[in-house]
Amino acid sequence: MKYMDIGRHRALFKGYTELRIQENSSRTVSLLNGDVVGNTSSSQAGLSARSYARGAWGMASTPELNDAGIAHCINRAWENAEILGRKAGKKSYDFDARPGRTVTDTDGLNPMPDQKALISFARELDAYCKTRFPRLSSRSLSISCLDMEKNLLTSDGAEAWSLTPRSMIYAEFTTEYNGEPVELYTVAGGGSRFGNVFKRPEDLFPELDRLWERLEKKALGQYAKPGIHDVVLGTELAGILAHEAIGHTVEADLVLGGSVAADYLHREVASPLVSLTDFANTALGEPCPVPIWTDDEGTLAEDAVIIDRGILRSYMHSKESAARMGHRPTGNARAFSFTDEPLIRMRNTAILPGKDKLEEMIASIDNGYFLLQPSNGQADTTSEFMFGIVEGYEIRNGKIGQAVKDCTISGVAFEMLKTVSMVSDEMSWTCAGMCGKKQSIPVGMGGPAVRCRINIGGRS
Amino acid sequence: MSRSEGIEIARRALDEMKKAGADKAAASFVRGEQNELNADAGEFSLFRSTVNISLGMTAYCETRKGSISINSYDEASIRKAAQDAVEMARASEPDPANEISPASKLEEFSFGPAQAESDLMYDRLNDLIAYTKKEYPSINLEQCILDFVRKEAFWANSNGAEFAESSGIYGFFAMFSAKEGQDASSFNYSGANHRNLDKALKDWGNIDELLRQSTEQLRLKPVDGSFIGDILITPDCLGDFLGMLNGTYTGTYPLISGTSPWKDKLESQVVSPLVTIRSLPLGPEVDAGYSFTADGFRAENATLIDNGVLKFFTLGLYGSRKTGKPRCPSGGGAICMDAGNETLDEILGSTKKGILLGRFSGGNPSSNGDFSGVAKNSYLIEDGKIARPVSETMIAGNLASFFESIRAVSKERVDYGSGILPWVLGSGVHISGK
Repeated sequence: MKYMDIGRHRALFKGYTELRIQENSSRTVSLLNGDVVGNTSSSQAGLSARSYARGAWGMASTPELNDAGIAHCINRAWENAEILGRKAGKKSYDFDARPGRTVTDTDGLNPMPDQKALISFARELDAYCKTRFPRLSSRSLSISCLDMEKNLLTSDGAEAWSLTPRSMIYAEFTTEYNGEPVELYTVAGGGSRFGNVFKRPEDLFPELDRLWERLEKKALGQYAKPGIHDVVLGTELAGILAHEAIGHTVEADLVLGGSVAADYLHREVASPLVSLTDFANTALGEPCPVPIWTDDEGTLAEDAVIIDRGILRSYMHSKESAARMGHRPTGNARAFSFTDEPLIRMRNTAILPGKDKLEEMIASIDNGYFLLQPSNGQADTTSEFMFGIVEGYEIRNGKIGQAVKDCTISGVAFEMLKTVSMVSDEMSWTCAGMCGKKQSIPVGMGGPAVRCRINIGGRS
Repeated sequence: MSRSEGIEIARRALDEMKKAGADKAAASFVRGEQNELNADAGEFSLFRSTVNISLGMTAYCETRKGSISINSYDEASIRKAAQDAVEMARASEPDPANEISPASKLEEFSFGPAQAESDLMYDRLNDLIAYTKKEYPSINLEQCILDFVRKEAFWANSNGAEFAESSGIYGFFAMFSAKEGQDASSFNYSGANHRNLDKALKDWGNIDELLRQSTEQLRLKPVDGSFIGDILITPDCLGDFLGMLNGTYTGTYPLISGTSPWKDKLESQVVSPLVTIRSLPLGPEVDAGYSFTADGFRAENATLIDNGVLKFFTLGLYGSRKTGKPRCPSGGGAICMDAGNETLDEILGSTKKGILLGRFSGGNPSSNGDFSGVAKNSYLIEDGKIARPVSETMIAGNLASFFESIRAVSKERVDYGSGILPWVLGSGVHISGK
């Protein structure tokens, strides 16, 4: 839904104003033990205006996509800002304008898939699972496609159009062992339309085979021993570590709201082996899973180098937080739906690869764990983090041993990162999850494998 | 928007789906208007006014189902969405469990005010900011959100079930932490929903007490070693545990997938006899309930667990038909736990060694109910007294085992508007420090 000639509405702006016309479209199909339990399509289109006056923000939104709706929202946003600004008596900041005028390149992008094609694809995968893995007590397959399309105009010169698609397939298997269910999942996909990411169902069969093998091992697993251990975190875990443990703590709104990262700028927070960047759209020469070229405040997006060889170098900023702290805005302000205001969000947050080989990292541990797959995670203003672990293995005498049951790991990021002693030379990205912070939003997370010491919660 | 306009839109959606070839259909139309004040880092930041519409249409072709949601309601959009919903249904697979609710004459419900008291909203939030600065100067109010949502909701299906509900509800959420020099507490958060702004925001939920506790949680250390001990769960945290219990044992997904360890335990003792959990969408104790369920039944209050005996899963119509187990008449929301017979002080006094659990930060529980995570905003209890706040302390256990072990429920409860919960004491949890 490219909105033509959005620029003509700039004449209605009374002061600093952003106008965003946005449509989110989604398609989902869910199968549970062969039944189609979810077959849904959704479209939410509308517009919002946000203004800044007297140090306060005002915002208004409507689904009425016409000139009257646009004029109403622009006026209402300004009024709201004025009302709040007058009452609250706040200091007003001058924003550093770095206007983006980017247009997403959609060459080669497939159309949004139709529901019939998605159901057919899911059923082929399901049929394979049913035949091939008869010992499953339950199988769940979901396909999820999301498009976020935004037209943006700002009073300080930004005018941008973006289309950010994402297509994912989730498979969860459950088996029984000693009368109790044991489950494990896998996820595949990336930041493009379904037809660009997935070609044929059979391309995913090897991944489903691996999922079953991993589940069989997990069924025989033991509880991890609680306490601090030497561990190798797999690439997917390093990605969630980058996001939860470090990323949230250095979002400037959380820094202003009490994060300990406020005390650590330009200080050592990690081993010199650790560098972490929140990439805007391109990382190490490749497109990121959630590419942002111009953010939802109209700032031309640039990479935010958060940790450089162990030293905390910057935060992630919106226009206002950058102005308050005397920093450069990084293009981290994003909104999920047209009714949402832009918040400081991560984009593609990754620990950078190092020089070590995964095999050598595992071989270096006498008694520890190789932890691979997270469930969910949470951050804290103290930089303490938590992740659920649903796949992991003991390491004994440098070799991978028995699987472990579900457990949790935690630590204080700015202490744990100093224990990082090896970083693998390969990394992987994922964009399967949604980051929650008043509004959910897709994010990319990446990382290499990392050797460190971490606290594991389990049963003694 | 008038009641008649709203229900007409839902009826029009049904007609279009039938014209497009649906055998049965259901439609919901919701118009929501929200006014919201935000304060970040203890200062007012944003005044937001949003309007949105949601038109949900579900078409059934025999027992195949397809659902579409749009946010426009002009004739052309409804017609196109109806055609798409029918096409989606035809593309799906038959499932005899797909069905719609029986006929039910149009019922209209209304609660809460029609408009926000915007000036009072500002004053209430301003008062909270000023109160916190004065009483708890080490607190950073990281984020406060006070909103008023006026909602007109209409629901109809082709069997002739129809509902209309108008509601006005205030919602408040606060996230905060304490900081002194380089010492910082974990963040904590709480919120509530009410129909009016009669009470100061500090008295919503348990916010004032949580603010006070955060100021005590600046200098922390983990518990020593590891042990098996008691957990005294606070009402804010109990809400999360009850959510995990539903997600693992009584909700639609674990029952349909067959993974619920309680799938054959209806009318059996599943938890401590001290535990009675009710779902009370109609109140009267609950301020922010609802009048009809998402699958088109008039909501009724229901007791889900009665003195430890499982009375209802939280199954809707589909889940009930799929599993052969009874539909939950309440829709499963607005959760309240009955008060117990002991005061919180008495319960604390009876606890030999354990954790007062303020917030649980943990991985999703396993299908068998195992949980593990970090005890946040929590305290070590020793010999009946709160000894000290703790950091980097992990707890692990099993949900069903924990709820079976509950040996005390407090007389005191906290009212969140959408639920009312006490403190509960249980045992058998692994507690470990660094």
